[in-house]
Amino acid sequence: MVGDRDGDGITDYVISIWSTGAFRDQLEALLLQAGGALFDENDQMRINTEVNARVLSTLVSWMVGPGRIAIDAPEFDPQGNQMRLDGRVIAALMPDWLGGVWEQDMPGLSGKMRLMPLPAWEPGGRRTSVWGGTMLGIPKTTEDFDNSWAFATHLYLSEELAEGLYKNNYIISPVKEYWDRSFYDEPVEFFGGQPVGRLYINLAPQVPMRTSSPFNTYAKDRVANALFLLKEYAIEQQKYTPEELMDEAHRLLQEAEDLVTKKADRNVFLRSEK
Amino acid sequence: MNSGYPKWAPYVLVAPFVTIFAIFMAYPMLYSAVMAMQQTYGPKASEFVFLDNFKNLMVDPFFWKAVRNTFVFAAGSVLIQLPLALGLAMLLNRPEVRGRVIFRLIFFSPALVGTVFIALMFGLMFNREGLVNFTLHGVFSAFDPEFPWLERFVMGSLIIASLWQYVGFNMIYFLAALQNVSRDLAEAAMVDGAGPIARFLNVTIPAIRPIASFVVLLSLIGSFQLFELAWVLLNNSSGPNDQGMTVVMYLYQNGFVSFDLGYASAIGWVLAILLMGFALVQHKVSTIGED
Repeated sequence: MVGDRDGDGITDYVISIWSTGAFRDQLEALLLQAGGALFDENDQMRINTEVNARVLSTLVSWMVGPGRIAIDAPEFDPQGNQMRLDGRVIAALMPDWLGGVWEQDMPGLSGKMRLMPLPAWEPGGRRTSVWGGTMLGIPKTTEDFDNSWAFATHLYLSEELAEGLYKNNYIISPVKEYWDRSFYDEPVEFFGGQPVGRLYINLAPQVPMRTSSPFNTYAKDRVANALFLLKEYAIEQQKYTPEELMDEAHRLLQEAEDLVTKKADRNVFLRSEK
Repeated sequence: MNSGYPKWAPYVLVAPFVTIFAIFMAYPMLYSAVMAMQQTYGPKASEFVFLDNFKNLMVDPFFWKAVRNTFVFAAGSVLIQLPLALGLAMLLNRPEVRGRVIFRLIFFSPALVGTVFIALMFGLMFNREGLVNFTLHGVFSAFDPEFPWLERFVMGSLIIASLWQYVGFNMIYFLAALQNVSRDLAEAAMVDGAGPIARFLNVTIPAIRPIASFVVLLSLIGSFQLFELAWVLLNNSSGPNDQGMTVVMYLYQNGFVSFDLGYASAIGWVLAILLMGFALVQHKVSTIGED
């Protein structure tokens, strides 16, 4: 799968994903897609799980060894963008909002891009995920709560803004009633005429739940670090298949879980329930 | 003796400074001392924990990793940067060097560039696809064209970036100090048969010692405050396996990611005490033999 596809003498890779801090959001998205997570719906930590270990081991098998398909081409980065323009990397995880960013930053890719659902982790599995999330907060001390609320609801619920948000950045409105609007079906030149909005909307029912925790950022950092250490272990031990890496993945995830637990337990306001 | 000024005049004159110092220095310091004895969660929730934050710091492996990394960076700064800066200063202090004013400007100019830009620039250089790998692979074809500098050589990369930024800056201090080295003394030493090394050790070093020790102190303080260079170079993180975690970065992560401003204040106070210790040592060293 990996080779000099465009004949420029440089090896081209399949996907941009790596074990650095810049990829921690992609890592979380893949964990969620696979059915893993860092915290469950009751805010309980669940870092060292079979699913998470499987995802980490698989990602490492993509990054090192004879089956390597991944390369470090970070998002929002001039060199990462250049690698995409040069064809050094073919695929990337693409949430709806990233399409607008790429279109603006890399117009040279117009017409060359195509969207497809994520490959499932197992037959019949989930084909999409969730990456990040934006909220609008109103401070408790605001002087004019009613107007703030009216403004917030306008931003979230206005059909006109939903259309603008999609046309400018390919962001899908959270309001399901708008999902049958025709602008979501319009072909997008950047993606070779694909109806980008409809593709995302078709996958929306599969979007996994992403819980929030005050320790989510810390947990994400620790799990990203476990991925890095697992990659180093793979190189050192020359173990390149997910099966060979599972035990070490569990050990590293347990270490990460212990660190997050320790931090959570120290917080007198949010002590984790044992 | 009547100076002709009312008695309250000095108080009025110092009042602006005292007011600003009280609001922006004294009060925040006192408040952070109080916070260091609290556990906080955001700006509102706090609970008095007395010395728990400090006790926890003593057994916190991340804190010690941050301290160790910071010491390594500081050692790199002092042991590599300052001799280089002094060497450059001595070179550019020689009247026979042509265009030395231009060279001084060139060497000093990186100090005019913002740290964030320097971090971005060195990020581009040290990336897998960056200039360093491109050059080394071009010169030595066996060199790994994808060598992960920012995974395997994090502290070294930070030290190199910092060297580029500050060597010229420190060179200016040394140049100023070298102007004060007595030519008479140097010539007398030469007449007495002292070679270049003996003159450097016995004439130059004693003459520049007060400024040199000041530069050492400045470099140490700067090194212990390392944050934005590492934070930007490592993509808003402490780097793979926290190899780039510094004390100030750990303070930031605790205060503004975990929202425990109490713990962050405790880290800040430990850092302040460390720096006060350095200042004390610097004062002692710079005054040795003065009497």
